[in-house]
Formats: sequence, structure tokens, C-alpha cells
Amino acid sequence: MIGYIFTGAVIIASLIIQAHDSFDVLKVAGAKPDLLFIAVIFFGYNFGSFYGEVTGFIAGLLHDAVSNAPLGLLTFPKVVIGYVVGMFGRSVFRANLATIFLLVLAASIVKGIITIFLCYIFDSVSVTARAAVIVPESLYNAIIAPFLFMLYEKIFEREIEREGM
Amino acid sequence: MEFIIRHKTIISFISFTLFCLISLTAHTSSTINSIEGLLHLFVVPFQQGYEALQSGVRRFWVGFTELGELRDELQRTRQKLMKYEQIADELTELKKENERLRHQLQMASRLEYESIPARVISRDPDNWYRTIILDRGSADGVKNNMPVVAYSGAEKAVIGKIIDVRSRVSRVIPIIAPEMKLGVMLQSSRYPGLLHGISSNSILCVMDYVSKSALVKFGDQVITSGQGGIFPQGLSVGKVLRSEIMEASAYQRVIVIPTVDYEKLEDVFILKKEPDAEFLELLKSAGN
Repeated sequence: MIGYIFTGAVIIASLIIQAHDSFDVLKVAGAKPDLLFIAVIFFGYNFGSFYGEVTGFIAGLLHDAVSNAPLGLLTFPKVVIGYVVGMFGRSVFRANLATIFLLVLAASIVKGIITIFLCYIFDSVSVTARAAVIVPESLYNAIIAPFLFMLYEKIFEREIEREGM
Repeated sequence: MEFIIRHKTIISFISFTLFCLISLTAHTSSTINSIEGLLHLFVVPFQQGYEALQSGVRRFWVGFTELGELRDELQRTRQKLMKYEQIADELTELKKENERLRHQLQMASRLEYESIPARVISRDPDNWYRTIILDRGSADGVKNNMPVVAYSGAEKAVIGKIIDVRSRVSRVIPIIAPEMKLGVMLQSSRYPGLLHGISSNSILCVMDYVSKSALVKFGDQVITSGQGGIFPQGLSVGKVLRSEIMEASAYQRVIVIPTVDYEKLEDVFILKKEPDAEFLELLKSAGN
């Protein structure tokens, strides 16, 4: 139960911090890290596909609600990544700085490609206007992720132990 | 039941995927808008709480660190105020003269709109869509398609337009968003064009469909044309950075730096101007 409360708190805090204008100082090349997405990868990686996709779905819906994006556009990539990362998770990657960096980098690029694909089908704006975001956001996510993983591992220490990791 | 529990992961995945795809297909429907509204309502108290906390900390910190600076600032502001009062007097005279001349030339008077001051409580929650959330909503008289402006010095500049209104907050699409289209013109030569954002991570805009015969110079002022029925004519939009002439196109495109620095935006004004009736009719027919 405590784990669910902490999960909700991490999602809400990530959303609020990310959406607040004070977070704009962290922008590089017009992009800022997607804290919600990193949190979803963490949950999928540590607690499996089901937890990953459910948190991805909830976080994505909230993200869509505060954004100009049509409902589902930011949700779908998070559901897919939460599910896929959960399928492999700790059984394939051992958590260290390099693997987390690579995992988040690859996941962010896949997320970018899915988002662009959805924009192409469901949105009237040119794809090139959106595509410029993929590389800076992916790199930024990958750089910041190891530190956030360390923080989340502290918060969810008991739950991770209970999962037998 | 056992089947569902055993395969909950894949069943949930398929359900979530279907939900997203249906929602994206029918994203203008009232049901989807209601779901989005409910989710937004859930987030708003957290956003307002965080904003209040953040401004409280900022004010507390400023109280300690900037007391000395404030005294000098007050002195400078008083001097500026005296200068502006003088300008205001001259401006009133000019306005009267302008109205008189307009009357003589039988031109319609320019309308002045009331405005609602608002604070930015959230900006760009994602890197894909530009969004500003303001702390004013339908309870304060805000309506869809109202123009949002800010002051840069004494100049009134366009920020964007309201696209979604809840009871206590409203959402603005800024002019730097690629999906925003705004009718503008070059102030000196009066050549018109259509302005929109370059990309999701740029703070520049592009003015398309500018005639190749227009002589465009660095620093030329770009203003709203008033066509389109949402924005009043003559509001400052930005300054020309450069123009690009393409062989294959009949037009040139002009890169524009917005007058107001989007990244530093804190206080804005919502103009109580509703779209022209003709424009609303067009919107309704497009919706049908």
C-alpha cells in the first residue's frame, strides 16, 4: 500500500516539477528531461511489465491532460515502454550507470519515434516541427536518469527488496 | 476469471492500447474532452499549491537578499514613473487627435478592450506541445479564443490565445507553437503573412506567404493584421531576424523573434475580446 502511495507521489511530483516554469532553467536546445517517462522506466524495470504499463498509463493520461497533446498521444508511448522494459527488466540488464544510461537512451528514442508516428497519423502539424525534439530529449533523459534511479531506489528500497532483487 | 488474472499484463496492455487509439481517433468528442477535463481538475490543485509554495519561497528569499537593491530600484522607478506620466499626457493628446482625424476621414474607431491580469502557473509540461496554463478561468470571465498579451516595456505584445477554459484555470497556445496560426503583417511595408512556430523546441517563429516583392530588413517590426477575427490589429508580435527566398516558391519566408521572451513570461493579460461573429460561424461549420 505504501508503495502505491509513493508511486503516486513520484508521478505527481514529477508532473508538477516538469510542468512548472521554474524547471525551464534546465532547458538545453529547447528540451527538458521527461521526468515522468524516467519514472515509468524505473517502475517497469524494477516491478515488471504490469506495474510499468499501469504507471505508464496513469502518468501518460495526467501528462496528456495538462498538455496540448490529444489524449492518448503521450500515454501510448509510456504504456509501450513500461510494458517492454518490464518484460526484460533486471533479468537482462544489471543496474549500473552505463546500462541505465543506455536503457533510457534507447527507450527515449523509441518513445520519440512512436510519438512522431502518432503525430503523423493523428495530428495536422508537420512531423519535422516535432522531430527536432527527439535527440536532445533522449540525451537529456539518459544523462539525468542514473541519478533519478539512485533517488528512486532509496525511496522504494523496501519494495525492491520484497521483489527479491 | 482465473484466465484474466493469469493474463492480466497482456489484457491490460491491449486495453490501454485500444483506449489510446480510440481516444486519439475521437479526440474532439465531448466524452474525451470530459475525461481530459476531469484529469486536469485533479492536477490543478497540485499545480496551484506548488506555484504558491514556489512564489512564497521566492518572496521570502528576495526579502533577505534584495532589500538594498530595492531602495535604489524604487528611486529609479519613481523617476521612470514621472517620465511615463509625461508620456501618458502626450499620448492622451495624440489619441484625441487621432480620433478626431479618424472621425473626419469617416474611419471606424479603434476599440479598446478590458483585460484580465493572470499569472503563469505552468509551462510546457512536455517537449512536444507548447502550453501555458494561467491561473484564471471561466469564473473570472475567461472564454475560448480570447487573445493573451503581455507588456514588453510600454509595448503590448501577443502571447497566444485561450484554447481551453476550466473554472479556475485556462490553457493558452502560444504563438511559438507550430500548430498556432496567426495573421500578421510587416508594420512598415504592410505586406501580410501567416505566422507560426518553427518547431516544438524553438523560440522563433516563421512568417510564411510573404510576397517576394516585399523588401524585408533585419529588425522590421511584425504586428497582428487583425484578419482572422481573434486578435485586434496592431499588436506587436516580433522583429524580423532574416528572410529566406526559395527558388521553387512564389513567396519568401521570414524568421521572426517574438517581442516577449517566452522563457521569462510570468504575468500576462487576457483581452476580453470575443472572436468576430463571422469567424465563430466559420469555426462552427468547420466543427460540423
